[in-house]
Amino acid sequence: MNKGNEEKTIILAAQAGDRQAFATLLKTYYSLIYRMAYKWCGNQSEAEDIAQDVVVKLATSLSSYDNRAAFSSWLYKITLNRVRDFMRARSRHAVKHDAYGAETVTSQAPEQEQALLNADVWDEVRNLPDKQRDCVLLVYGEELSHLEAAQILDMKESTVSWNLHEARKCLKERL
Amino acid sequence: MHKDPFKSLENTSIPPHSIKAKEHAIQAALSAFDQVQEEKTKKFQGIANEQRPISIINRIKWIWNMPTYRTIGPIAAGLVIIPAALFFTTNLTTFSLFSGQNADDGIIGSAPQGLDSQIAQADGKQHIIKPAQEMAAVVAETEPSRGYAPKTETASVPQSAPVAALVRPRSSVKMAKRMSIAPPPGMTVMHDMSQIAPALADDQFSEFKDNGVHRTSSEPVSTFSTDVDTASYSFVRRMLLNGNKPEKNMVRVEEMINYFPYAYSAPLSSDRAFEPTISVFPTPWNANTQLLHIGLKGYIPPAIEKAPSNLVFLIDTSGSMNAPDKLPLLKKAFSLLLDQLGAEDTISIVTYAGSAGLALEPTSADQKRKILAALENLNAGGSTAGQAGIQQAYDVAISIKKEGQNSRIILATDGDFNVGISDPAQLKEFIADKRKSGVSLSVLGFGAGNYDDRVMQSLAQAGNGNASYIDSYREAQKVLVNEIGATLKTIASDVKIQIEFNPARISEYRLIGYETRALRREDFNNDKVDAGDLGAGHTVTAIYELTPVGSTSPYTDPLRYGKTGPATGADLSGEIGHFKLRYKRPGETESQLISQSITDEQVFDSMSAVSTDVRFATAVAAFGQKLRNSIYLKNYGYSDIRKEALASKGKDQNGYRAEFIGLIDLANSLSK
Repeated sequence: MNKGNEEKTIILAAQAGDRQAFATLLKTYYSLIYRMAYKWCGNQSEAEDIAQDVVVKLATSLSSYDNRAAFSSWLYKITLNRVRDFMRARSRHAVKHDAYGAETVTSQAPEQEQALLNADVWDEVRNLPDKQRDCVLLVYGEELSHLEAAQILDMKESTVSWNLHEARKCLKERL
Repeated sequence: MHKDPFKSLENTSIPPHSIKAKEHAIQAALSAFDQVQEEKTKKFQGIANEQRPISIINRIKWIWNMPTYRTIGPIAAGLVIIPAALFFTTNLTTFSLFSGQNADDGIIGSAPQGLDSQIAQADGKQHIIKPAQEMAAVVAETEPSRGYAPKTETASVPQSAPVAALVRPRSSVKMAKRMSIAPPPGMTVMHDMSQIAPALADDQFSEFKDNGVHRTSSEPVSTFSTDVDTASYSFVRRMLLNGNKPEKNMVRVEEMINYFPYAYSAPLSSDRAFEPTISVFPTPWNANTQLLHIGLKGYIPPAIEKAPSNLVFLIDTSGSMNAPDKLPLLKKAFSLLLDQLGAEDTISIVTYAGSAGLALEPTSADQKRKILAALENLNAGGSTAGQAGIQQAYDVAISIKKEGQNSRIILATDGDFNVGISDPAQLKEFIADKRKSGVSLSVLGFGAGNYDDRVMQSLAQAGNGNASYIDSYREAQKVLVNEIGATLKTIASDVKIQIEFNPARISEYRLIGYETRALRREDFNNDKVDAGDLGAGHTVTAIYELTPVGSTSPYTDPLRYGKTGPATGADLSGEIGHFKLRYKRPGETESQLISQSITDEQVFDSMSAVSTDVRFATAVAAFGQKLRNSIYLKNYGYSDIRKEALASKGKDQNGYRAEFIGLIDLANSLSK
């Protein structure tokens, strides 16, 4: 059984209500979800919270996964939605926002200059308009192709490219 | 300057997540998964049973459980799936996709999903119906019948004791699930079905069936636990006020009746802590039957009235509480409660959202400013770790508990527990265990949308407390100011009622409401069996519909071989039945018995002769049954109910009854 087929079988079993299969899926994909969430929010405990929300959500929404897109792309989509919810909730609580702000990537001791620069770039990326930010994170952060990013974000491939272009322009001005 | 500024993002170092967070997340997801599967099973089961009861029953070693599935509309869709499900249940062998992974898999290993663990979890109360022989043995141990019925009756098996009418078997789908069957293509329909739900899609209510009619000659004894919850009425009101017809399962008739204050006479001393007010009168919706109305009010011992309160507010501050009718309303409600307390009372606040925390250490209730500031500081966000919060609340309550004090946790939540133990049955077990420490639990429900009535009910029932649903500031005022004594101070625990009807006088009876509170006959004398608690000022109302012997149109046919007629001995022909009540004084483990005969002296020949309280309660009972589309009220309309309610409105100082009449009108217009 090749890897893709095995994954499909596991997903089908989990959709049918197999608890073990579901647990296997979670264990396999938790890291992916966490890492993605981390890139979006830059804070470990928040990323863990988001990852938890996503996996809990999977219990109900797994049934709607229909095999058309790759499972990981589908996961990106769900995680992305959850991240957006989180961001929205965060901006509602200005007080909390400040508290979180103090804890973003920049506050973690940089080991070298590259890391420092990196952190700056990340901070800037997170401050980009939503669509640009999402495109940058998927294409650069997750190293997906423009096409894959387009599928996840429900936009045309060319729109992804354009958003990236805009983001680059924007960032060059700021840095 | 061709360097892409984003290139550097590719090799960003990301700190690893903590192992604990991963485990925690997976556990949470798995329990959510279990719940989803359970829901599916339940939906499925409702249809499956109606289609193929015999074939399923034969296949499974039965656990009977309280019915908690929800109905679904499109039965036709279900029909397509059942044959497929049955086929796969029986014909496929275990699908051993993951057999190699079990060894290093602690999470899966600890899954509490086995059939046996369910048996172990059930506490032997009303959940399990024993095999017939065993049942017969148990029945034989019960207190001898009062003697209305022939002696042999006592040892016979109550074939359809009240509880049997309520319970339903689990379905074969759960079995299919455990066998890890990959789904056939048609199976996906099931997932779609799970998304079909009424207006408030995520509110969770347990399904239950109306109590059926019982023939006195075969089952002369009716037993149930009291219920002082009012949550159902508030929720129904909210639905009606928003222009929605409440779902059948939201309507628990006894809770509707209990919502209203009734001026039943209270006993004057603790010797006889309950004085039932009993009336028998013609049924407004059926000329051939009578209603038996029993009203109870408990004696309030002065010591309990004066005892200081030691309250732990356990407040859900998860993201789902972030709505105007949830956390902000809750804050206002608790400020109201605070005004009712004094310097001798103690308040603590525990919150839970993601992780539990002590937001206010035990503080004297006269330090209002400090307490209000702590309340104000609460913000909603994160997921709900109900169990961790409850654990901490009990820890706090127990650590400052003093003899003679009234220790209580007041849990305020929308019931959406999604972290930790989120399975209602397990939570219930946890709380039932904690109950032994002498700390009670009251539940205040908030919000709609993902309100989980099932969790609320099971928490309050297991925790010796009561569940109220707060949908408005006005309701907060009712529960936390007008009825504060009832909410906070327990005067009697494990209050059970048993009524034996005289088959010479009554051919059939039907208990209105209390479907979710039925007890087995032998549970009445068993002090280990938990039942409802009563607070100071609480009233309990139970209404039976009775068919007198000789009535022209009984609901059931008489038994061909059944003997009616009284047993030998004293002349009991003047008795309609016999009322018995058991309760425990607070803190005691042995129950007290109160009994009284229901005689001709308590019979009224017209509705207008009974007290307005009794009459009004009857109107509420009719309304509740009507909302549940009861078959017994086919020829009795909302306008008839309105007439009765209007005639029995009485003084109505708080305006509750006037509001009720408004709800009848709303229901009437929604039913057209």
